[in-house]
Amino acid sequence: MSAARIPPAGTPGGSILSVRNLHLAIAGRRRHTPILRDVSLDIAPGEVHGLVGESGAGKTMIGKVILGIQPSRARITGGSVLFDGADITHLSERERRRLMGRGLGLIPQDPMTSLNPAYRIGGQIADVLRLHLGMNRTAARARTLELLHDVHIREPERVLRQYPHELSGGMRQRVSIAIAFACRPKLIVADEPTTALDVTVQRQVLALIKQMQAQEGASILFVTHDLGVVAKICDRVTVLHGGRVLEAGDTRRIVEASQHEYTRALMAATPRHDRPGDLLQPVPETLTARLDEEALAYDAAYAAAGTHDG
Amino acid sequence: MAEPALLEAAGLRLSLPDYSRKPPFGAAPTVDILHGIDLALAPGDTLGIVGESGSGKTSLGRTLVRLYKPTAGRILFDGQDISGLPEDRLRPLRARFQMIFQDPQSSLNPRRRVADIVAQPLRLHGRASTATEARKQVDALLERVALRPAHGERYPHELSGGERQRVGIARAIALQPSLVVADEIVSGLDVSSQAQILALLRELRQDMGLALLFIGHDLSVVRTVCDRVMVMLNGRAVEQGDCAAIFAAPKHPYTRRLLNAIPLPDVDPDWVARTAENELGETLTMDVKDSVALVTGANRGVGEAFVQALLDRGAAKVYAGMRDTGGYEAPDDRVTAIGLDVTDREQVAQAAAACGDVTLLVNNAGVNHNQPISADMAQQNAREEMEVNFFGTMEMCRQFGPVLGDNGGGAIVNMLSILARVNLPMIGTYCASKAATLSLTQGVRAELAAQGTLVVAVMPAAIDTRMGNMNPPPLEAPADVANAALDAVEAGEEDIYPGVVADGVSEGLAADPKGVEKQFAEYLPG
Repeated sequence: MSAARIPPAGTPGGSILSVRNLHLAIAGRRRHTPILRDVSLDIAPGEVHGLVGESGAGKTMIGKVILGIQPSRARITGGSVLFDGADITHLSERERRRLMGRGLGLIPQDPMTSLNPAYRIGGQIADVLRLHLGMNRTAARARTLELLHDVHIREPERVLRQYPHELSGGMRQRVSIAIAFACRPKLIVADEPTTALDVTVQRQVLALIKQMQAQEGASILFVTHDLGVVAKICDRVTVLHGGRVLEAGDTRRIVEASQHEYTRALMAATPRHDRPGDLLQPVPETLTARLDEEALAYDAAYAAAGTHDG
Repeated sequence: MAEPALLEAAGLRLSLPDYSRKPPFGAAPTVDILHGIDLALAPGDTLGIVGESGSGKTSLGRTLVRLYKPTAGRILFDGQDISGLPEDRLRPLRARFQMIFQDPQSSLNPRRRVADIVAQPLRLHGRASTATEARKQVDALLERVALRPAHGERYPHELSGGERQRVGIARAIALQPSLVVADEIVSGLDVSSQAQILALLRELRQDMGLALLFIGHDLSVVRTVCDRVMVMLNGRAVEQGDCAAIFAAPKHPYTRRLLNAIPLPDVDPDWVARTAENELGETLTMDVKDSVALVTGANRGVGEAFVQALLDRGAAKVYAGMRDTGGYEAPDDRVTAIGLDVTDREQVAQAAAACGDVTLLVNNAGVNHNQPISADMAQQNAREEMEVNFFGTMEMCRQFGPVLGDNGGGAIVNMLSILARVNLPMIGTYCASKAATLSLTQGVRAELAAQGTLVVAVMPAAIDTRMGNMNPPPLEAPADVANAALDAVEAGEEDIYPGVVADGVSEGLAADPKGVEKQFAEYLPG
């Protein structure tokens, strides 16, 4: 499971984000529980990169490390995260703040928890613009209207004055997208942004994300468990299980000709409305058990190699 | 369907109080959740109920197992009407129909161990007399859902989402019911736990002969466990039938929309781009072939042309509406003449009841008195124009909206005039009635979009008919206008301006509205 097996997106200097041999563990009273094991991935400018895995695979944790919002008990025990060529794993709060907004953005899974329920939509978007771009009130308001228009909100003037609870789930997610793109960041982490939405709304939101991404030229790390979504909007994919990268590559290769048994098992476990139901096959338990064993064996080898600095 | 139904619902309606709109004093207003649902489920049958949030699918499930009491309609369980049974008489029956809830986190008591949770129905229904006996049954049930006896000692929060849902299933099958209603039971799970639960349901269904009502929002998931499916929208069933057939060739535009929205795991880089066109600016379309149409004012002029154009395009049936059917000769045996004065609300309601199969409504009836507002009869003329052109069209849309919805969406064509967009001097009252009807058409379009009804506004210039031929040329041929309108229905266009004059006016309005107004001010007939 060495990183060398993963083809880089281009030259390392050409990547907007480069995660290199990242190890992360949750510190416990007696021992550390490994969460990420030697994770490497590269995202080129303008690329939509899918990060696929089931719950517990560590996909959300990777997004959090990039944004610098991992839990305080999480220890980075090895490796680095290079954003625009510079390591961002150990930034001061001030440096981190400078990076957010113009450098990095987030589209959360549940906008209800990321939008402040006590403030109107307009103020929340304008705040971002004033803080990160130093805009004055008038300029911020004009740009806010423009952003709401860009995410196809029909009556931006009215929505500006509304509170988050007054909007539907799809509308709230549109607002989150507007905030994520507000300062024209280079990379956006989208953490399961459509999981909670109805299918028709999901399709609209995916279209919007892609449209905004093309318009603003940002890269996106798209965290999801849905191979269908990956097949439709990602350029490249990394498949995770148990905190390890199992394979990575172009979406077409991963979806149509995966080299890894686990990816193929995930595909067979994904229901399709165009096929009879008896073709659905759960991921074999022997396979997941073997992958878990491999992960433990990796931990033992890693500890024995003495590279553990936690 | 030869088998007697295990569960049957007919005309099921449900209204619940809407507490979000409750005044500080007094009762909450009620809101209609289900608008007459019919379904039948034979023993061992599987039916998927699909819809988006707010479609009423969860309320339907809860009503069928009598967690809600229906406002109207019947529910027959094994031949017995349970729609109005009081709780004490329902209880013994409840052993035979069980529900699995969406969120096991909130439907499993967090302070009880799994074994207690699963044993509770056994105790309540007296199926286990001793604790040992209960424990034996519980262990068998846990094994049945692929949990170990050790799981029985744990609390719900110590289990994974998939395991918790298995506990919900074990509890539901504890009393060996003949029907299980499963409400969105896999929506919170990831792909592999979801596939395991779905496989388990398939197994249980086969081994226990369970009838299953599977409620979900994902058509792909529904396909894996159900033979039949019912698609719900706004408390109505818009399409019902065999999964394989419906998913291969959906009839209702909403079903098509749901299917198109699902991202299948096939690489398709243009998929989202296609969404941008189709979804961000919604288009509905409809085939005129095999449609059942109703045309008002069908005995002359454009109405007559509509009937002919519909027949030419293979419409299955045409109702030709006219005030007086005396002396009307139907051009084809597919045409049925009906007496219909659109200003008579009684008659419109009767027509909607009599013509329940209509899928395409052409509101063509209209009057034009061709008089200035200085004329003696101006008040009376204006009222009559409004009465026919505006209120007539409105009543037709009002009465036929639900008919079209029940028949899969369909389409409404409102015959307006370019004068809905621009005023012609000396016939201001007629222009006003058409402008009002254009506004109305836009309102109707917004209201009926959810049920998949296409609403087309047709705005031609003067047409060569008795009503239009006092205008200077060029005049449009009635057949051209009717065909342009039907083209719009098939292409899903919403506002059309057939003919060069109307098209020119609409373009002019977009570029230079004042200029067009000025041109029209100079144009005085006579």
